[in-house]
Amino acid sequence: MIFPRGAARSTDHAAVSGVVYDAVVVGSGVSGAIIANELSRAGKRVLILEAAAADDITLSGYEAYLKHFYEAVSKDNQSPYPENPNAPMPRSTDARKIPPGETDASAYLVQKGPFSTDTTYTRVFGGTAMHWEGKTPRMLPEDFEMRTRFGQGADWPLSYDDLAPYYVRAERELGVSADVEDQAYLGMTYDPDYVFPMKGLPLSYLDKMVAKDVDGMTVELDGEQYPIKVRAFPQARNGIPNAAYDGGKGFVPVGAVSTHQVEEGGRCQGNINCVPICPVQAKYNAGKTLAQAFKTGRVDLLAQTVASKIHVDPDTGRVTEVEYKTYSDPHSPDHETGTVRGDVFVLCANAIENARLMLASGLDGGNDLVGRNLMDHQYLLCWALMPEVCGTMRGSVCTGGISDLRGGGFRRQQAAFNIDIHNDGWGWAIGSPYTDLIGLVETQNKFGADLRGELVSRITRQLQLAIPVEVMPTESNRVTVDPSYKDQLGNMRPVISYHVPDYTLRGVAFARQLSTRLFQRLGAADYTVYDADDYAYVTYEGEGYVVRGGNHLAGTHMMGVDRSTSVVDADQRSWDHENLYLVGGGSMPSIGTSNITLTIAALCFRSAERIVEQLQADARPPQVPVG
Amino acid sequence: MPLHRITTTEDLHRYLRAALQLEHATIPPYLTALYSMHPNTNLDAFHIIRVVAVEEMLHLTLAANVLNAVGGTPDLTAPDFVPTYPAFLPDGEDDFQVDRERFSKKAVDTFLKIERPGVAPDEESRIKHREGASRSLLAAPEDDSMHFYSIGEFYEEIRRGLVHLQAEKAKAGEELFSGDPARQVTPEYYYSGGGEIIPVTDLESAVAALRLIGEQGEGLGGAIFDNEGELAHYYRFKQLLHGRYYQEGDGPDDPTGPPLVVDWDAVYPVKTNASLEDYREAPGLYAAAVEFNRQYASFLSLLTDAYTGRPELLIDAVVEMFRLRDGMTSLIRNPLPGADGLTAGPTFEVAAVSAIGSA
Repeated sequence: MIFPRGAARSTDHAAVSGVVYDAVVVGSGVSGAIIANELSRAGKRVLILEAAAADDITLSGYEAYLKHFYEAVSKDNQSPYPENPNAPMPRSTDARKIPPGETDASAYLVQKGPFSTDTTYTRVFGGTAMHWEGKTPRMLPEDFEMRTRFGQGADWPLSYDDLAPYYVRAERELGVSADVEDQAYLGMTYDPDYVFPMKGLPLSYLDKMVAKDVDGMTVELDGEQYPIKVRAFPQARNGIPNAAYDGGKGFVPVGAVSTHQVEEGGRCQGNINCVPICPVQAKYNAGKTLAQAFKTGRVDLLAQTVASKIHVDPDTGRVTEVEYKTYSDPHSPDHETGTVRGDVFVLCANAIENARLMLASGLDGGNDLVGRNLMDHQYLLCWALMPEVCGTMRGSVCTGGISDLRGGGFRRQQAAFNIDIHNDGWGWAIGSPYTDLIGLVETQNKFGADLRGELVSRITRQLQLAIPVEVMPTESNRVTVDPSYKDQLGNMRPVISYHVPDYTLRGVAFARQLSTRLFQRLGAADYTVYDADDYAYVTYEGEGYVVRGGNHLAGTHMMGVDRSTSVVDADQRSWDHENLYLVGGGSMPSIGTSNITLTIAALCFRSAERIVEQLQADARPPQVPVG
Repeated sequence: MPLHRITTTEDLHRYLRAALQLEHATIPPYLTALYSMHPNTNLDAFHIIRVVAVEEMLHLTLAANVLNAVGGTPDLTAPDFVPTYPAFLPDGEDDFQVDRERFSKKAVDTFLKIERPGVAPDEESRIKHREGASRSLLAAPEDDSMHFYSIGEFYEEIRRGLVHLQAEKAKAGEELFSGDPARQVTPEYYYSGGGEIIPVTDLESAVAALRLIGEQGEGLGGAIFDNEGELAHYYRFKQLLHGRYYQEGDGPDDPTGPPLVVDWDAVYPVKTNASLEDYREAPGLYAAAVEFNRQYASFLSLLTDAYTGRPELLIDAVVEMFRLRDGMTSLIRNPLPGADGLTAGPTFEVAAVSAIGSA
């Protein structure tokens, strides 16, 4: 995919000052990319504001990220991406234990606790869809009806069937590899002739070794029997194109993006570092959509331009302009301010940044709901050593897992969860393989062939289960702002208050018990330890667990059918401001056990249609006589 | 002109087998140059050469599809399939030889000759008789005395032969495209961003496959970008010498795209055309080189199976290619004792594999 040369510099701050765009989009991640692409293809002029730098996406620019990652000591989600104090981002290594009643303001996210989250999002051109893993499960039909079916959380104003056609478009845009027969479960249905763009990626050898002993096992929960099996996950990662796609037209995978021709990203090669960056761009990134958007010639970009305030006409409630701060040096607080105008404004930052920008602009939704109901997945990690070599560290990060407990009547009492079998060993849990190396050298004095042998034998037997447990919306879990906490540019930082609800903890406790049963069945030695000193240590009924942040942020501007109990409508349009859309995970009233990007993308396709309709309808807004 | 052109199906098969040999013959030199670059340096150059090498593999597969379609059988394990370097190209071009050598301006000059635009300066030089005995180390496709100005001219002869034979066969009520369709490699098993594999079942698809090879290699009729907007190999390489990328609208000699920096010194000094003989005094290198050759032979055998009815093996081939890369880099990054600082390199002597295997 060729990124038109100079696209990232098609305009400048002086040039946009006199322009009223059809739409101003804040953020260039997956949401901003899809909205911009769809609107521009409908003939609309779009301006994207991106807080971070955006030199033209060249392959060497992308590979500078890779090099940064290879050289980094910590291989966390943000390790490839440059530090930028003018558009700072949370890093999982920032999290600290928060003493009761205290506030930890040592890093970008100001945390009031009681739970200290290590959740992250990435503020670079292309957004968090640069570091994401690429897993793309749809939400279950029951996930949209949590209140009605289980008396928990909130219902969506949309059903699975409403969203299904947009899931299809999202699966095309993201380039999903999956087989319908693996993905038709727990009520997820597809059109009879539907196939995914590409065939399912194969289960890893480790998946198969787990499946050998686990498939057919039954779990009893709330009086019901759940047979479980290892199932392949759908992934936005290039695989074998399905010739039957699109009525037999097939699918052409999108490879790497650059300003000049490269041939990369054709197919996943099984490099293990999908997170934080795919070395060959076989994984979808928002650049693939942005390149198409820029090709229309109707999309302008202002990079290094941080949206700082939304201005609203007090009489009409309409957004009039967005104020920004633009900087030339990420390490200097020097900046200039300005405003941009459009008929429609679309906030595509992410659940935390959208809420932060609204609140920093004094906009709380009129019902104090902006920023509330912050959700994430809490990940329980369980790790064990398999009795024989299982090829750990081969494949993409995660190819299969156990999805049978994503849904069921037990959700009246406890949270649903998914079980991801990680192909990258105990990396997330304890920092393998680096910690294995240090341990063998420093505490066991291994060297040479002995060391190599031990390393291989240990690492290729590592089994890590990463278990995302759902979190229901809770008003006290929230994002706020506080003028005492600002970033280098003087923008207020997000202040997070968060606790892990008991509903989730019941799911966590059950998942931990299940993991020990699975390990017993596999003959695997359980090495799982939860350290009471860990910042993410939580207890439930006397047992302690460590639950990590999932980077699946949602819920801060939930959609609903009633303006008094929600921030946006089903189109993600603000109830209060008729020309403002708040787009992304923040609109989701629940996230079930699905990684959120596919659903975000589907919602964007749906909203883009509504925005185009609104722009057509508003094409000649009534002119109010002046004077 | 008294040339032996393609007049029979057997001629056509011989030409297409030579086409497979030809497409493959460029791969060891490209890979040697590619992996001679120091890691994390020369990223632009690395990608340019990598792309071309990948597309040569596409061309190899396209040639196999055409051969299969007309009832032939690809065999990458034939004794003379892999050339001994330095080598003339198997299409008979005889004004230059190809070495397995490190990335350098000289190597890029050779690559430019390999990929030079197809149309000869004049009819005279298009197809020539070679004077005297050929020094070609490879069997010429039909007639050792016949050779082509360029790869493009060689494929033009195959295209002409296909058209001719199709007409002949039609007159006789026979079918030229009688091959087993199950042997065709389809996009399910092979794709790369720059060009899609074309399953060949008739004259039209066969010509399309040959056109893709031609367009990707040298460009057609002097166009630097092909119909799909893709830059021909010849011009990709020229970017390395110009230090600048081409963009749409550029003339052949004047790229105006983004700059491209080449560090000609960030390269391991791989011994040119290294052979097992060079490693006699270095048992570690010798063993590694023998192992690489064994893996390469087994890879060619895997490809042969994939091209003769089991296309799904191309998926497994990916893992093998990673092994080959590792084997090549471990040789390339090791000094060769007593060679004035030169390093070792893969020798691609697969003929020696069977000799060693039977010893």
